Amino acid sequence: MSSRPAAEIQLTIDGRPISVPVGTTIFDAARVNGIPIPTLCHQQNENPVGVCRVCVVDIGQRVYAASCIRQCESGMTVKTATDQVHAARNTLVELLMSDHPAPCARQQQSGDCELERLAGAAGIKESRFPHRTTPRGKDDSSAVIAVDHEACILCDRCIRGCDDIRDNWVLARRGKGYQAGIAFDNNLPMSESSCVSCGECMVSCPTGALTNKRVVGTQLGEGDVLDPSELLGLPIFQKKRHFKAGEIVCREGEFGSTAFYILEGQAEVFLASPIAHVKTEGSSKGFFSKLQSLLAPREGDRRSEESDRPFIPIDASVDLPYDSPIAELNPGDMFGEMTCMSYYPRSATVRARTDCVMLEMLRNVLDILQRNKTFRAQLERNYRARALDSHLRSVPVFKSLTQDFIDHLRDRVELLRFNPGQVICRQGDPADSFYLVRIGFVKVSEQRPGGELVLAYLARGGYFGEIALLSGSPRSATCTALDHVEVVRIVGEDFQLMLDRFPEVRQKLEAIAQERIKENLRHTVQTQNVPVDQFLAQGLMEAQSLLVLDLEKCTRCDQCVRACADAHEGVSRLVREGLRFDKYLVATSCRQCRDPLCMVGCPVGSIRRRNTLEVIIEDWCIGCGLCATNCPYGNINLHPFPAELDDPSHPGQTIAGVRVKATSCDLCHDHAEPSCVYACPHDAAHRVNPPEFFAGMLAQPAPRTDGS
Amino acid sequence: MLRRTRTTKKLAKRIDLQYFAHAHPFRQWRFWLSIAVPAIALSWFVLQRAQGGQKVYSAGPLSHAHAVFTQQCALCHVAQAGSFSAHVTDKACLTCHDAPVHHVNQTFTPECASCHVEHKGAMLLQATADRACTQCHADLRTRDGQPHYISSIAGFDRKHPEFSTLRSGKTDPGGVRLNHYLHLQPNLIGPNNTRMQLICDDCHGTKTADVTPHQAAELHPASLTEISTRRPHEQAYMPPPEFAKHCAACHTLQFDTHFGNEQVPHDKPEVIHTFLVKKFGEYIATHPGAVHEVNPPDRQIPERVRQARSARNAAEWVQFRVEDAEWLLYAKTCKQCHTLRPTNDSLPEVAKSNMTTRWLSHADFDHHPHRMMTCTSCHSRTPDSRETTDVLLPGIQTCQQCHRPQGSTKEAAEGRCYECHQYHDWTKTKPTKGDFTIQQLRGEARVPVLDR
Amino acid sequence: MLIDHTHRKWFLGSAAALTVAAAVYVPYALHSPQGPRGGSGIGLTFGTTGFLCMLFAGLLGLRKKFPIWRIGRAQTWMRGHLWLGLLSFPLILFHGGFHFGGSLTRLLMWLFGFVWISGILGAALQHFMPRFQTAQLPMETIYEQIDRVRGQLAEEAGQLVEETCSALEGEVSRASERQRAVSASAGTQGGLTVASGLRTNQQVSVQLRTFLDQEMRPYLERAGAHTARLGQSGQAQKMFQQFRVLLPPDLHSNLDDLENICEEKRQLDKQSRLHRILHGWLLVHIPLSYGLLVLGAVHAVVALRF
Repeated sequence: MSSRPAAEIQLTIDGRPISVPVGTTIFDAARVNGIPIPTLCHQQNENPVGVCRVCVVDIGQRVYAASCIRQCESGMTVKTATDQVHAARNTLVELLMSDHPAPCARQQQSGDCELERLAGAAGIKESRFPHRTTPRGKDDSSAVIAVDHEACILCDRCIRGCDDIRDNWVLARRGKGYQAGIAFDNNLPMSESSCVSCGECMVSCPTGALTNKRVVGTQLGEGDVLDPSELLGLPIFQKKRHFKAGEIVCREGEFGSTAFYILEGQAEVFLASPIAHVKTEGSSKGFFSKLQSLLAPREGDRRSEESDRPFIPIDASVDLPYDSPIAELNPGDMFGEMTCMSYYPRSATVRARTDCVMLEMLRNVLDILQRNKTFRAQLERNYRARALDSHLRSVPVFKSLTQDFIDHLRDRVELLRFNPGQVICRQGDPADSFYLVRIGFVKVSEQRPGGELVLAYLARGGYFGEIALLSGSPRSATCTALDHVEVVRIVGEDFQLMLDRFPEVRQKLEAIAQERIKENLRHTVQTQNVPVDQFLAQGLMEAQSLLVLDLEKCTRCDQCVRACADAHEGVSRLVREGLRFDKYLVATSCRQCRDPLCMVGCPVGSIRRRNTLEVIIEDWCIGCGLCATNCPYGNINLHPFPAELDDPSHPGQTIAGVRVKATSCDLCHDHAEPSCVYACPHDAAHRVNPPEFFAGMLAQPAPRTDGS
Repeated sequence: MLRRTRTTKKLAKRIDLQYFAHAHPFRQWRFWLSIAVPAIALSWFVLQRAQGGQKVYSAGPLSHAHAVFTQQCALCHVAQAGSFSAHVTDKACLTCHDAPVHHVNQTFTPECASCHVEHKGAMLLQATADRACTQCHADLRTRDGQPHYISSIAGFDRKHPEFSTLRSGKTDPGGVRLNHYLHLQPNLIGPNNTRMQLICDDCHGTKTADVTPHQAAELHPASLTEISTRRPHEQAYMPPPEFAKHCAACHTLQFDTHFGNEQVPHDKPEVIHTFLVKKFGEYIATHPGAVHEVNPPDRQIPERVRQARSARNAAEWVQFRVEDAEWLLYAKTCKQCHTLRPTNDSLPEVAKSNMTTRWLSHADFDHHPHRMMTCTSCHSRTPDSRETTDVLLPGIQTCQQCHRPQGSTKEAAEGRCYECHQYHDWTKTKPTKGDFTIQQLRGEARVPVLDR
Repeated sequence: MLIDHTHRKWFLGSAAALTVAAAVYVPYALHSPQGPRGGSGIGLTFGTTGFLCMLFAGLLGLRKKFPIWRIGRAQTWMRGHLWLGLLSFPLILFHGGFHFGGSLTRLLMWLFGFVWISGILGAALQHFMPRFQTAQLPMETIYEQIDRVRGQLAEEAGQLVEETCSALEGEVSRASERQRAVSASAGTQGGLTVASGLRTNQQVSVQLRTFLDQEMRPYLERAGAHTARLGQSGQAQKMFQQFRVLLPPDLHSNLDDLENICEEKRQLDKQSRLHRILHGWLLVHIPLSYGLLVLGAVHAVVALRF
């Protein structure tokens, strides 16, 4: 939230003078500057705790410091790779290894036990220290996850994953000394605990302490060639489900934790949400409504870029065409990956068209499958064969690509996966590829003297990396995976080829790149103002457009609310309540944040930012409410709308029902002016750009507010 | 330390998102009142109509004269076939009223209602606005192109000419000589040789004219009709002084010492002659000895050289005495006031008194309303007037001291045209009579459709 | 709405219109034979113009019913309402020649007078009431939602008291997480030995509950209730001060919160009052103006006939 310009401090790491903002850890400072420091207990997406001490560095003091939690200090001289440091690290690894049965389950299974890799890299074959004599035991109770307390190195990664990332609060520490370990709830067997089998702990674990159960013993190594059917035949799958024709497999908006893989049969995926309800439509039924639409004319559709947005992104290998949001899924297709990996609500409804056999898998299974090269290859093949076309074409600038070029790309694109918090490309790196987001959310941010500035959040259909490729300059921003992200990578030469072959694509991309650069510059200018405490505290700096009511003019007549409701089918998208800034009430209505937290997680990408600044919710919203929860200002609300729903008792027929959808201020984009402002009789309501509007006030010394 | 924080989200979540869809009591009140008040207003109107009243349509209360038919719009507002509007037509007025034309040469005759504006409350309908007159008289055009009067008069204080008598320098044509100056001198010899001071009232009997039958009319001006707004001239103007009432006390008409203070009648010379003959005849009959007396010379008649004449007989004595007495009268006593013209006959002819009672030929005036003032405050030249021919009518400026057009508002007396002038020439009036019943006037019965 | 420099054009326009009207009226009143009358050409023009002004002013109500119709910004209408409404009265006076006329027209004039005066009063109120309200009520909310918010305040107070009492009674499970943290910082580890960190004071908790049930809840739940002891900030402060003495310092923040809730309730009550003042005139202005328009139309029809 805070983009408060923080002071920079200077330090030296391995002889390189480095400048970082106050508060940066040594580990991050080194990482940003390309100096690798090994670590076990620290992961980018988790808060550092500094328990494994493998990341120790010499900071010229009496003891070495754990770089993952130690913050940089001005004038600090850090040495990360002296012999002494290496020796200390090796000793630490040896000590850890003494508690660790080698090779552990993970090492056997996929060869990626991080501890054993570290040991291997350091040339440690066997610990010089004696092993523990008292066994800590195993927990085999869970159906999906095997717990081997012996292999646990108490790095706390699973605990933080369970508590901080998943917010499940199941895992914790237990015991002391040799008996210290992890515990589910009050040290219950895993199956009896409140564990939801999300698999986060298993993914987080660096060793074989938490592994996927059924894979144990199958000896599946990374790189093993295995026929997918063989793989799928393994008993790791909990459910092989049969669906009758017409049966609903999953519904949009539901929360789930499984992904589906179609073995046999066909299914159709579609959006049941009535489209075009969030847009205020001017359907004229009688004389009065005709008159009304005459009196409240739309000033054309100013959403020029909307018209060429033909696809709705969903959580499957295909996108849905905007005009008829329905698509077909065939054997070998997978859907629900995002739901399974990141716990997003289902983005679409899937119904069996013929009798189907599907594999429903939990996260751990999906994880295994995705680690399996053969299976991944098959998924990728599917993607290339079926989804790449629509995916590329769903991006407006690529609409004009010809089939032969897509065919050319088909075998050349690469599908890459990233874990939450992982950096996809870093500001300042040389640019070599162009990325298209297939699954998940990517944060595009810029490292500034004042701290990190989020430029955008990209969802499925978003793309990045073009600015650097176009200009040949280094990356201008850092792109980080916010959750489990899968991107399609088009390497630089293919991208260049595309630009050469399709000048209009180049033109469009250049235009958009210009726009982005301009927008970024605008941010820079605005953030350089010196803002007032309160201004920052209310997050007004993040806003690009605020609805403010001049309380000295406002008679509290509520016309703005009524106007809003009138403009949006009787549902007001503003609440005339909120905090005040000076004599202005900052009404609860979308602020079009520069850093729109609401966009993260939308399973269908219906909440998005237009090329201008407005954050809008598209018609295909499925009403999951994630954006409303994410909005820190309460500006998004869920409202029931009348809708035609499938009749559960009579398939194929519809009944009138109610469907919940998210609404937020759309600035009345089809009018020249927001209705609330237009309808204010007292000249009190204004839609303003906060830094500009409050510029006069901000220049003054901070107004002292009473109280805390 | 306060832990309760106020954040936008927290505040917004307290609010029912649909609150505005349900009217708050305050708005409900507003709504129902907004329905109730027009409804009450309309029902008030309908009720007024239902009670038979057309009064609700009225643009204002009617004048007293018409007040009785406030409920009967159609008496005046004549609906015309095919027209929505029902304006007041002259026909409606002429049903009851006569309105003789103002002047034969006037270029147009305005509608009654354009001057007599109704619905302005209890007021005199004849109290027309000056604008009604000045619409012509401010720039007078006549049909024959000959202006007979001053052609541009905009009001009493604007371009109104001096009264015509004074303007034309007319003199008083009166046949009875009178010196106001002398009469108002102090220490005049009064009756019985008393010394006295005359005042105006002594001769211009205003006191006696005070009590008139019209007093009632003044107290209730609304009961005046247009014909009798003005009081008759004999009451409005000063009555001419009468010899018997006003002069005789001082101006005695003794004719002969034989009769002491006995006076001749104030009458024609012929009557006096007869009287004298009779008087002296009777005297000689009772006093035969008087025939021989010799009269001392009469000092009172300077013009005539006294010749002592001796009568030879009674008849001659009577003749001489009558001649003497007539000489006294016609050479002195009567001549003091009257103009005597010698005739072929022995007796002179007395010129007519020819007293003017009304000096304002185009306008009306009434002394009575002015009675609070002394006479000389207006007739200021009177105490110095020594000639009978002096016209003592005060000039227009005297009037304008009090009378101004915007009477009531300017702390002044009424100064509108109608105060002195009449539009209708009532000499040409002819009788009119309406034929309404009381019920019709009071709105209790329908008025027959006017078809005139 | 606030009449500020942005009204310059409207002000000048209205002043000019009034001047023109007066310039027409004075010679007309002086020279027309019948005097100024509503029925004459000029009088009728004044009447029609005045009525149109009133009608326009009245249409604001209708316009507000359809706030999204793009028929001119609402504030333009409001400006028109203010200035044309202001102008309409002199125009109608000119129309009637400053006479009130018969019963219908007299009633109309009285109605108009009330509407006009109440309108001016309302405009005047809108000049200082919002400012006053803004200064006096930092915690104001939406007027229509005061009842609801009050209920939530009562609920919040209940929870706070419950939480505080739990802490006082030493019930760790019901004590807030923060209190656990507080007690933990007092030397204990985790959540297991917390209880010892919390002081037990059964008696105070009983008092606090009694206070909630007998003073706070009735006060918070009832609208107005100025007479309640908590309705006066001075008294309320004293009452809370007593509890502050009784309660351990780490629970004082809960008392601060409770006090703050009472303060918010006081402000809500005050807001109700101020809102009624700021909007009360509308109860006169709007209904009467509807009555005026209806009877005005009747008058127009009747007057054109006679």
